[in-house]
Amino acid sequence: MRSIVFLKAILDPEAPPGVLRFSPAGASGDVQQVLGPFEGNALELAVQLAQAASGSFVAVAQGDPAQDAALRKALALGAESAVRVEADGAFTDPLVTARRLRAVALSLGAADLYLFGRQAGDWDMGVTAGLFAGLMDLPFVPLVQRAVPEGDALRVRREIAGGYEESLRRPPLVLSVTNGPATVLRLPKVKDVMLANRRPIDVRAPEAGPAGLALEGLAAARTERAGRMLSGDPAAQAEQLAAELRRFRIGQGGVQ
Amino acid sequence: MRAGVLCLERDLAEGPVREAMGLALALGVPVESFVLGDGLSGVPQAAGDVRMGVHPALGDPDPETAYQAALALMGDAPPELLLMAEGQLFESVGARLAGHYGRTAVRDVGRVELAGDGLRLVKAAFGGKAEAVLAGAEAAVVALRAGAFAQADAVPAGVESVGLDLPAPVERQVVRESKGEDLGRARVVVSGGRGMGSAEGYQGLRALADLLGAALGASRAAVDEGWASPSQQVGITGRKVAPELYLAIGISGASQHLSGMSQSRQVVAVNKDEHAPIFAAADIGVVADWQQLWPHLKRALGG
Repeated sequence: MRSIVFLKAILDPEAPPGVLRFSPAGASGDVQQVLGPFEGNALELAVQLAQAASGSFVAVAQGDPAQDAALRKALALGAESAVRVEADGAFTDPLVTARRLRAVALSLGAADLYLFGRQAGDWDMGVTAGLFAGLMDLPFVPLVQRAVPEGDALRVRREIAGGYEESLRRPPLVLSVTNGPATVLRLPKVKDVMLANRRPIDVRAPEAGPAGLALEGLAAARTERAGRMLSGDPAAQAEQLAAELRRFRIGQGGVQ
Repeated sequence: MRAGVLCLERDLAEGPVREAMGLALALGVPVESFVLGDGLSGVPQAAGDVRMGVHPALGDPDPETAYQAALALMGDAPPELLLMAEGQLFESVGARLAGHYGRTAVRDVGRVELAGDGLRLVKAAFGGKAEAVLAGAEAAVVALRAGAFAQADAVPAGVESVGLDLPAPVERQVVRESKGEDLGRARVVVSGGRGMGSAEGYQGLRALADLLGAALGASRAAVDEGWASPSQQVGITGRKVAPELYLAIGISGASQHLSGMSQSRQVVAVNKDEHAPIFAAADIGVVADWQQLWPHLKRALGG
């Protein structure tokens, strides 16, 4: 199977609160750019499918040169090529992003699978895969935890509330990949990392089109709370906590 | 501009869908509702002019069936602003519909305003550390953050029931690993972390969750330990939740977890480490060993 995997490097989402600075221009701070966690899951699935079905994959990202590290990681893990659509690091309407990625995908020729992470950890949109599927008029399977080739089809496990669902699907498909034991991104070999650093990245100008949504403002949200500590021994703490829960109108059977 | 709500018939009574109805009615523009279901629950309590798409497979549709049904129901002229509740239906069809119609899609939206001919949307970003204001689109599919809007008791202006001719549903096997609560829609969430000590310790939280009518969540540590399923994980790499009450038990409060629950209205944290970061994100903190606290709490709650 041939896949195209869409990657995105973001400011480390696990950076402690207060490290990032927010302004109408976007986010900044002394924080490392890392491959988005779910994009890492999508990349792992691309590697697995390429290995399982004698296939191949191409890695694509949109952004400034800070994205190249993510693309080189994909090259080190076996991507046949890497493409970056040029854009500044600021907010881009997800529909605009999806249109640009569609233009790249069409230029790369037919693929069986288009793999996205479930959600990038910067703007928390989680819509690019679906938008892309709608633009491409292709079936879309969200929240994929695992996908294994079966003949010319794919057995797909996807997350649902309280469990999972499995189905046999025929490509071409658009998948958004989530985390799980089967999609933990492997580490590339040092030798492959060094080789990947010498390989070219195909940098392209973005397809022209309307700008769509624009970022009008970005400000830090309230994260600290004026917490009140309940004192005493466990019995006394439990009495106070039960009283607080009742104050929230919680009792047997839930919120009243 | 017209506003619409897309939902499943089975979700009509749920708070997040009633919030979408409430917002649509409050915007002061013509409202339509698009309801997908098997048609077994009578007149749909939805806002405005209601189009009800009926097919036996729409009682619990797979993503492809739901998408094809929504397309068939909305046709070529969907409302410019299509509102949906956060959850599985939006995950499956929301953005895909937007792409099909050449519109943008935005999720986790906590405020919607009409600004001239366009939309102004306020949403959480950067794992809840920031709030972004987005403006400029004239049409969009928008998923609303649960708990951010007033609910409405919607009375339909008129109902048109449409029998849909849909492709055969995708064959699938469904496996439930927990009680199947939708964390994103729960009004109360109880989550456990590494501090529960063991799978048995974590599963012990089920009794508290049942007592409170809560959904049971987990930190990444609890999922990594294999005590909880990935579908129960709250955090950057799990579900984002915004319940009325969030109880974090034995969770230290790493940034990864805080990002998933920081929008909760009230947060209670129980941890035996008084320096745990979770206490800075909590309204009420209890420094205690859960195993020692629980018997007393159970008794105090009448459990």
